[in-house]
Amino acid sequence: MSSAPSESNDVSTASLTSEFVAERRTDASPFEQQLWDVLDEIPDPHIPVSLVEMAMIYDVDEDDGHVTVEMSFPCMGCPAYDMIHNDVESCLTVLDGVDEVDIEVVWDPVWSKDMLTPAVRNKMNESGISL
Amino acid sequence: MSDWPDPAVDYVQAITDTKILLGQRYAQWSLAGPSLEDDIGGASAAQEEIGHVRQLVRELEGQGRDADWLNGDRDPEEFANASSLDRIDGEWPEYLASIAPADRAAWYMLDAIDRDDLDGLITKIGEDEYFHLEYHDARLETLAAEYPERIQATLEETLPQALALIGPAAHDESADPVYDTGFTDRSTAELREAFADHYRELFADTDVSLEAVDWDAPPIEEWDETRRRADGGAVSEEDVTQISGKQNELFAMN
Repeated sequence: MSSAPSESNDVSTASLTSEFVAERRTDASPFEQQLWDVLDEIPDPHIPVSLVEMAMIYDVDEDDGHVTVEMSFPCMGCPAYDMIHNDVESCLTVLDGVDEVDIEVVWDPVWSKDMLTPAVRNKMNESGISL
Repeated sequence: MSDWPDPAVDYVQAITDTKILLGQRYAQWSLAGPSLEDDIGGASAAQEEIGHVRQLVRELEGQGRDADWLNGDRDPEEFANASSLDRIDGEWPEYLASIAPADRAAWYMLDAIDRDDLDGLITKIGEDEYFHLEYHDARLETLAAEYPERIQATLEETLPQALALIGPAAHDESADPVYDTGFTDRSTAELREAFADHYRELFADTDVSLEAVDWDAPPIEEWDETRRRADGGAVSEEDVTQISGKQNELFAMN
């Protein structure tokens, strides 16, 4: 374990590691894909991309109306931590077929900007955010 | 419910409580620094420490500890923070020489935890701590040049207090109850040695002498294994009230 921060900006690395989130979504059922789409509409409160684009949503699992969202945060001390929880819960619980939403915050794998796809990186760059 | 050994739960509790008090002190002093950069750095560190606490509290809840108790609904004497954070006596140089050793000690203790299910959490905390500790060291060096006597006098008190948080010197590989359970991969004695070496090297070429620091403290017979300290002090009631968020639940943790 190292306390050194990850500072990689290598595009090829970004392309590889962003497959992690893409693979999670690929395994989703049709209904879970709908849930992913809803989550993809929730904006990150700090940056003009969605929580899904920000690679904060790691997995979505639905079982008989019980939805579990596995997610992480770029910053452990995020001041919007509770607000983002509320956004996820409130956007999903109003959907037909969703009775209950659990959010599991995980730190493995550790969120990294390497998880951002090249398209999202471009979108952020165009908004004036350097990576 | 608990799958951590009891000494390990107390070990993580002491790290967590130290981080609660670090967050409190960083926040309290974030408008008192000598420069805007110091204030911004302190405010950022406060936010990060509270974020660490939020996650460590979840882990401790998973080990059966009560959520309200963890979040501050307890007596001051039930906090297991590094005693150097009970209160800050002095001005900004004394403040920095009080928090820096406690933050470093808490990080060494976290980094020694050897559990796959906590690896990501600890790595993420380490990303923040890297900057906290780099900043502290750089600032201690400049303060050592400006106020050598004040920094030296404070460190003579706060370094042994941080060592008490890590644990007594007698806890080597054959006697450390947390290491013995396999929860950590380094003994208290090894962490203490790394901690002492770091500060000896940091101040080697400065006007601050660490010759008078009691590197052997605390005596094991005086050490409280639950609160990981050798003195009977505690934070103030006012600190506990603020930490608990009772007066403004909008800002309560969790």
